[in-house]
Amino acid sequence: MTRVLDVARIQLVNWPALLAYPLAMPALLPLLGLVIDISNGEAATGPHENYLLPALLGVAATGHLQTMTQVFPFTLGLGVTRRKFAAATALVVTGQALLLGLVLVAFGAVERLTGGWGREARIFGLGVLRQDNPLTQWLAYSGPIIAVSAICVLAGVVFQRWRQTGIYLSVFGGAALLAGIGALATTRNWWPSIGTFLGGQSSLALLTVYPLLFALTLGGTAWLVLRRATA
Amino acid sequence: MNVVRTTGLSKRYGSLAALDGVSVELAENSIHGLLGRNGAGKTTLMRILTGQGFETGGTVEVFGQHPYENAGVLSRVCFIKESQHYPEKFRVKHALRAAELVHPNWDNAYAAALLADFAVPADRLLAKLSRGQLSAVGVIIGLASRAPLTLFDEPYLGLDAVARQLFYDRLLADYAEHPRTIVLSTHLIDEVSDLIEHVVLLDRGKVLIDADAESLRGEAVAVTGSADAVERFAAGYQELHRERIGGSLRVTLTGVPDRFEPGLDFEPVSLQQLVVRTTQRHGAPVAAGKESR
Repeated sequence: MTRVLDVARIQLVNWPALLAYPLAMPALLPLLGLVIDISNGEAATGPHENYLLPALLGVAATGHLQTMTQVFPFTLGLGVTRRKFAAATALVVTGQALLLGLVLVAFGAVERLTGGWGREARIFGLGVLRQDNPLTQWLAYSGPIIAVSAICVLAGVVFQRWRQTGIYLSVFGGAALLAGIGALATTRNWWPSIGTFLGGQSSLALLTVYPLLFALTLGGTAWLVLRRATA
Repeated sequence: MNVVRTTGLSKRYGSLAALDGVSVELAENSIHGLLGRNGAGKTTLMRILTGQGFETGGTVEVFGQHPYENAGVLSRVCFIKESQHYPEKFRVKHALRAAELVHPNWDNAYAAALLADFAVPADRLLAKLSRGQLSAVGVIIGLASRAPLTLFDEPYLGLDAVARQLFYDRLLADYAEHPRTIVLSTHLIDEVSDLIEHVVLLDRGKVLIDADAESLRGEAVAVTGSADAVERFAAGYQELHRERIGGSLRVTLTGVPDRFEPGLDFEPVSLQQLVVRTTQRHGAPVAAGKESR
């Protein structure tokens, strides 16, 4: 475990990308929301939502891409095993998501206390994300961050092993798979059943349980690819 | 005790045999020279020894076990290579700190002294360093790690002659105080010939020489004289090379016990010349190759 923590500390040398930029972003979102509202002429039009949080997911996750393509080959040369590196990556991804989720809960509270930043805006308290208590709200914020980070980890590992060819094949293959599933669902008339299934799920399951399952699937795939990746 | 043992080790990339039945043993607490031309298989061998590459056949043992994903083995190994890429956001001090975290024998004071010796600024981004300074960072990590098995894959190519000599001096001094197993892969054979205790010469994936450096230094001799006299003397000995200039002949021979004959000049052959002649005799085409990975 000590070795895993040491490798996590090596990954966190890149703390600006992994922590500072993602943590600074929530402070900038209200300002960005104000600029958007002004540009839309909606500053005084009553309760409204600004969908800016997805940008935060991208900022939080891209640091892990650098971890896999730059820090991994360096540490492999120092004598770190792939298993320890993968465990450290899972630790950093989870820790970052939980920390960022906590910050979002805090900003959500400030948003409520200030009446939506003084103009009834909802940037953190988006309806689709809203939970009844701070703990489930924390999990609802953290789950999607982990899922998007897992995509970047897998992309980084694929690039490290197969370079651009791997990325191209993954993107095209993934798109083809999704299109195939969509076509199958349409021809078999599965969409109503899918809609009913998803509609029957709690928002916490949709925002936390399924993203975590998705992340575990991608993480497992990343590990299979990483096992034969080299520096 | 042997730190490294390979038996019939092979690595194929399609039809290319990067390693072809390599069987070597590297003794503990010794400086080994891994020599050979570009593409000989040196880097491939070191990548397999450090768990970064994967053999196609044969066996490999490092500290008695297979190195792949073996934390017990890899925690005792440091592999520094010329093509080492560092994370772009890392400063020199970050790279050293990372090495300190994973190498139990790391010596911080020694690393600081080496930084001063090689004039490498600790606070500078690695991406902003010159090629020589970047090579020096690798050398510093390799030396200060004091890993029981340290492999240098030509990380000193970016260093100028003065800095390379500084590296050799520091390596020898630290090795005397802290004996460990060191593998130096290099083309600069003359520069390291007094440093290395054991030589492994690879060519086209095969081992051509595997011997003590001391015995190799006296192994070959260049005999010069009139063509007839040299031909008579050389009969029965293994010939590595011959040059004819007018009526005189110069041959490089091995296994010559008696090195006196009236009318003939006997000159010792340097380790570099021995390596060059042995490689040429093996029949490799003389062209600039590319190190296979």
